[in-house]
Amino acid sequence: MSKWEPKIIAFLCNWCSYGAADLAGVSRMQYPANIRVVRIPCTGRLSPKFILSAFMNGADGIWVSG
Amino acid sequence: MSKDVIGSVMVVGGGIAGMQSAIDLADSGYYVHLVEKSPSIGGAMSQLDKTFPTNDCAM
Amino acid sequence: MGNRTAVFKPYAQAVPGAFSISKKDKSPCTNACPGNVNAHGYVSMIGEGKYKEAMEIITRTLPMPGVLGRICPHPCEDACRRAQVDSPLSICTLKRFAADQVDINDLTVPEITPRDEKVAIIGAGPAGLTAAYFLALDGFNVTIFEALPVGGGMLRVGIPDYRLPPSVLEKEIAWVQKLGVEIQYDTVMGKDITVDSLTEEGFKSIFFGIGCHKDIKLGLPGEDEVENVIPGVKFLRDAALGDMKEIKGNVAIVGGGDVAIDAARTALRMGADKVSILYRRTEAEMPARDEEIEDAKEEDVDIQFLRAPVEIVAENGKLTGIKCIQMELGEPDESGRRRPVPIEGSEFIVDADVLIPAIGQKSDASFLKNTDGINLNRWGNFDVDQITYQTSREGVFAGGDAETGASIAIAAVGAGREAAISISRYLKGEDMAAGREKLEIPQQNFNAIPQKAKKIPRAHMARIPMDQRKSGFTEVELGFTEEQARQEADKCIDCMVCCECLECVKACGAKALTKETHEEKDRELELNVGSVVISSGFSPYSPKNLDFLGYEHRPNVITSLQFERLLSASGPTEGHVVRPSDHKEPKKIAWFQCVGSRENNRCDNAHCSSVCCMYAIKEAVIAKEHDPDLDASIFFMDMRTFGKEFEKYYIEAKEKHGVKFIRSRVHTINPVGDSGDLEIRYVKENGELIVDIFDMIVLSIGLEISPELKKLAKQFNIELTQGSFAQTATMNPVETTTPGVFVCGAFQGPKDIPQAVVDASAAATAAGELLAPARNTLTKTREIVPERNVIGERPRIGAFICHCGANIAGVVDIQALKEYIQTLPYIEYVESNLYSCSQDTQTNMTEIIKKHNLNRIVVAACTPKTHEPLFQETLINAGLNKYLFEMVNIRNHVSWVHKANPDQATEKAKELIRMSVTKVGLKAPLKEAKLNVNQNALVVGGGIAGMSTALSLARQGYHTHLVEKEDRLGGQALNLYKTWKGEDIQQMLDEMVQQVGSEENIQVHLSSTISQVDGFVGNFKSVISSKDGEEVVEHGVANISTGATEYKPIEYCYGNSPRVLTSLELDQKMMANDPMVNSVECAVFIQCVGSREPDRPYCSRVCCTHSVESALEVKKRNPDAAVIVLYRDIRTYGERERKYIEARKAGVIFIRYSLDNKPTVRVEEEGVIINTTDHVLGQPVEIEADVLTLATAIVPRKEEALAQYFKVPMNADGFFIERHAKLGPSEFATDGVFLSGLAHYPKPIDEAVAQGKAAASRAVALLAQGTVTTNGEVASIEPMSCSSCGTCVSVCPYSAPSFIEEGRFAGKSEINAALCKGCGLCVSSCRSGAIHLNGYDNDQIFAMIGVV
Repeated sequence: MSKWEPKIIAFLCNWCSYGAADLAGVSRMQYPANIRVVRIPCTGRLSPKFILSAFMNGADGIWVSG
Repeated sequence: MSKDVIGSVMVVGGGIAGMQSAIDLADSGYYVHLVEKSPSIGGAMSQLDKTFPTNDCAM
Repeated sequence: MGNRTAVFKPYAQAVPGAFSISKKDKSPCTNACPGNVNAHGYVSMIGEGKYKEAMEIITRTLPMPGVLGRICPHPCEDACRRAQVDSPLSICTLKRFAADQVDINDLTVPEITPRDEKVAIIGAGPAGLTAAYFLALDGFNVTIFEALPVGGGMLRVGIPDYRLPPSVLEKEIAWVQKLGVEIQYDTVMGKDITVDSLTEEGFKSIFFGIGCHKDIKLGLPGEDEVENVIPGVKFLRDAALGDMKEIKGNVAIVGGGDVAIDAARTALRMGADKVSILYRRTEAEMPARDEEIEDAKEEDVDIQFLRAPVEIVAENGKLTGIKCIQMELGEPDESGRRRPVPIEGSEFIVDADVLIPAIGQKSDASFLKNTDGINLNRWGNFDVDQITYQTSREGVFAGGDAETGASIAIAAVGAGREAAISISRYLKGEDMAAGREKLEIPQQNFNAIPQKAKKIPRAHMARIPMDQRKSGFTEVELGFTEEQARQEADKCIDCMVCCECLECVKACGAKALTKETHEEKDRELELNVGSVVISSGFSPYSPKNLDFLGYEHRPNVITSLQFERLLSASGPTEGHVVRPSDHKEPKKIAWFQCVGSRENNRCDNAHCSSVCCMYAIKEAVIAKEHDPDLDASIFFMDMRTFGKEFEKYYIEAKEKHGVKFIRSRVHTINPVGDSGDLEIRYVKENGELIVDIFDMIVLSIGLEISPELKKLAKQFNIELTQGSFAQTATMNPVETTTPGVFVCGAFQGPKDIPQAVVDASAAATAAGELLAPARNTLTKTREIVPERNVIGERPRIGAFICHCGANIAGVVDIQALKEYIQTLPYIEYVESNLYSCSQDTQTNMTEIIKKHNLNRIVVAACTPKTHEPLFQETLINAGLNKYLFEMVNIRNHVSWVHKANPDQATEKAKELIRMSVTKVGLKAPLKEAKLNVNQNALVVGGGIAGMSTALSLARQGYHTHLVEKEDRLGGQALNLYKTWKGEDIQQMLDEMVQQVGSEENIQVHLSSTISQVDGFVGNFKSVISSKDGEEVVEHGVANISTGATEYKPIEYCYGNSPRVLTSLELDQKMMANDPMVNSVECAVFIQCVGSREPDRPYCSRVCCTHSVESALEVKKRNPDAAVIVLYRDIRTYGERERKYIEARKAGVIFIRYSLDNKPTVRVEEEGVIINTTDHVLGQPVEIEADVLTLATAIVPRKEEALAQYFKVPMNADGFFIERHAKLGPSEFATDGVFLSGLAHYPKPIDEAVAQGKAAASRAVALLAQGTVTTNGEVASIEPMSCSSCGTCVSVCPYSAPSFIEEGRFAGKSEINAALCKGCGLCVSSCRSGAIHLNGYDNDQIFAMIGVV
């Protein structure tokens, strides 16, 4: 194992965090490319099953933001 | 007079008040000319960081 | 606070999200150039080291940069505003520098579309070469006929080589030839060719640029015969062409122009022993350029002034000298120069072996024949039209010296270019003069000269040594070094801001910015409108004039607005709070309140700006969130937190966040050495002087009206208040004094966002009431493309990848993405576009969707938050359901944030696309249901707000049920006496009630209440109950304006004495003219009775103004009465502050008390005894009052039942909660239900009227649509799986789920699509898995997770 890269799945609320991630781009902030974003209409939409499913599919971390 | 009424309104200033007026008028069936001297709408509110009492982002 | 270039976007999220270019008045240098060369542009480019770009800018209007860069007398430099700092820029030499760096022949030859027409140019001087150049660029067949064996005209044979080496000129002539221009040398007009012969040869147009090559004679006898008298122009020509190689002995030159100087310096170089210039006036009048005169003197040319030649002295036909006469200066002549007058008898002889008369030259058009039809003027120059340069013969043009008489080269260049434009238009059959009239170009509004600009001496070129200078024709000046040039160019102060280099046009791959759009100017539009709403806002007060603050001198004293930018993540410091002086994080910040507000002495703003207390607290709290250890102090006079939830925020700031509040006005600020820290001095309430040091001071600046807006108001004939705000009446708070012109926002009075939004809607409805008959006459409806049914089809996915110029393609490997996408399932089509959002791509996309029969689309580009609607529109236009779409954000979430790792970025983009492709395959077309909206309205509550809503609705044609539980309309207003503006409330109320009564569209239900409500937006069914029974009404919208009541105090002996009243009771007595009020000798008011207490932690907003108004009324009725107001903070916001000032002037005494030391009251026979503590003296005070008025709280009614019926929320105090504290103040989150008046929050009548109107406006906006369209991405329930647990019903913030009442699925839950906002809360809460969220369903999200 030369270099382990974690895979993080992010569930971002369309109205706030997804927009914040957009703004991070607009501001050209740099961050590691390990995040895969799933846009959801509201964090209220986040079913615990999504988190379990993500882990089962090999995610190393889950980020829920909203 | 009613026959001569023109169904459009000019809103002078595209800050939060002007935008709200324009939206309401347009939704109510009037053609709106929104006049703003700067290149974008939003006015003073767009310069604010956050708004109270909820500390929401002003954008 | 940051730096901005000419091309800018106000902020990242600006709408429209486009950049704009600021241009001020045309830069003076460019404006001064007769050749229209963009001096500002090339200087700018040189400053940036872009020499090729500089040359491209120059050659837009001038084909000879190296030539003009050497010999131009540079009118641009005379206009340069840098002279106001030190000296004008060396613009001319900068041009030479650019030409020295870049070989002109290395520039790209523009694409030329050849044309057939032939054009003849006579003369290869600056005018002719320039005309030829631009005609060639336009594709014409151009031939130049030149009499001399060389090109360049005077540039070649009039300007000596040591000033302009022939190689420079030749190079630039070669550039003109490179465009296809042919030059025939040794071709003399009148001898080898004529106008007619050229016409016969097929030349469709002729341009004369023959210059002035004929010497003007001295007019002395012997001039033509005597040997060694050589006219100046001829001398220079002979020298230049090598026809004359040597000159011996003493040379005398007569004249004072450039030719005289050039001849002198040339003669010197050709071997003359001594060279003298004889000039008849003094040096000051000499027309030659100062630099030239200086150079000549350096080279030992003897210049003798005030001498005029009178006789040529010769022996045997050979020159020996020239007899001169001494002159003196007399009166000024026509040219403004003093006329030389000969002194009689002062003749003397100057010995000379060679005499060169150089007193001027003229044009020689003697080749013209009468039959040519070309007119000359009285000086022998061509007579042309001043705009087109066309001579009296059609198709024949002339310009340059031949037209003006001897002048400067750059003027000839300008004329040549103008003539070329005319010739081109002439040959294309266009109007030659159209749009070319000479306009006065404004020269006023320029970029400010930076105050910090350092004085830098003007750069000078190095020169060759003197011995070399005198002995040959080597170029004297060596040009700038790169360092010199860059430094000189950097001195430019960018007068116009934009330098019109058009580099941005080159950079814009989307072709949004073109030469044409770049040149767009302000245009005047005439609009016919039915009404005007002025919402021009406030301008922030500039604290520059308050000297003691040191704003702008002390970097760490900033305004609150600047501080907002420091806090903002998109601000200049990206949200790091650092102080400007040293970028250190401040540890101690002070806010100063009332800067430019409540201040009549040092500025003219007596009003309270209403918003500063709250924003200062907010800034302090947020700053403390950035740095919890921050010491934040707010220095204030009265803390005015009178808005909804504001008092709580204030208390939290104090108690939870530890913001310090200090009641004092700071009078002195001193800098602490060079540290950037600031020492302040202030006096505490107890009189103690405090000295403290802060890192930074934030000035809470007030709101005022700009002079510009005042001017606009004048144009609209709007009357203004004392504070220059638009004057309005209490019952018409958004109507100006000019009918049809409405006002909202801060122009109506200083106010916060929610109040501005309320006014805005109110103004909209006020305009709507006026224009109701013309509704929908000018609006447009769009065409609908029929939707293709894709159900049952196998997915055929089309993927479009956007390069976004280099934004995405510069980081992400687009080709790799394309190849990768081809491998994904169901992909039918992949392409990439430079800009997917461009109009062309959209059109193209529509075609591709149709052609390839695609049924799912993925766009990998920027953010769906801004661009999803655009692409969905394209889907609709292609006949696809707009929900069969997914957008992948490979810009904001990939290329912009992983710049350093293109490989990882590409990998991430692939995965994100794979996720979306997988999801889109599972997407189904969604329906947006349209539900009809019942056109009737229900208004609950018949007070001022409710009546106001009802009237606005009715006037716009909507039938309105107005339900009032009392037996008369009016609500709390029935108890009020006067407004703070002095209006009689009962009279106004009467009028309003009458208007309601006479309005056909209003049905008033008195003594009635609502007992049941069913339905939802557009389709409500409510039961109105009264003693007469029940009535069921159907309505599309509802407004709640149920008002509030007066707090009945249990404190301050209320009820124990008739002398203790509430504010409303005092109003009643005033209305009744009660002798008790009229003869009162001592009246006391206690403020905040029941408000701002732990049980009721809100400010009742109106009581301070009310008591001040009542106090003034008492004083009015009995001026000798003692009137005392006991208060905690006086909150007379906005222009109400003037009433407070008036009360103090009238002798009303204000004594402050604190919550922990409230006044005590006891009732005695002779009066009411009040004990309190004087806040200034700290001494106990006892007051015996005849009347004690308690300013009691406004208490909400807590209408629980109504809240249940309409499913709307209430806050802890019992006020209804609006949709959004700032942006939705007059409506509920529940669609179709609106809110106004005291039920929302305490407010004075004008604000209640405004909110009543605002609620109506929001309601009309909904009613006018006729239908409500539901969102497709909503939740739906499978009733078979529903377990009837009710979780969804209880969790939904929008009341969308409800239980089915009857039928097969009775008791199960169902979702009303019209109410659902698609948040999915119910979906994730449903323990039975019965709920699905369209567009974000479980299978779709699982599928996305599955392919990560």
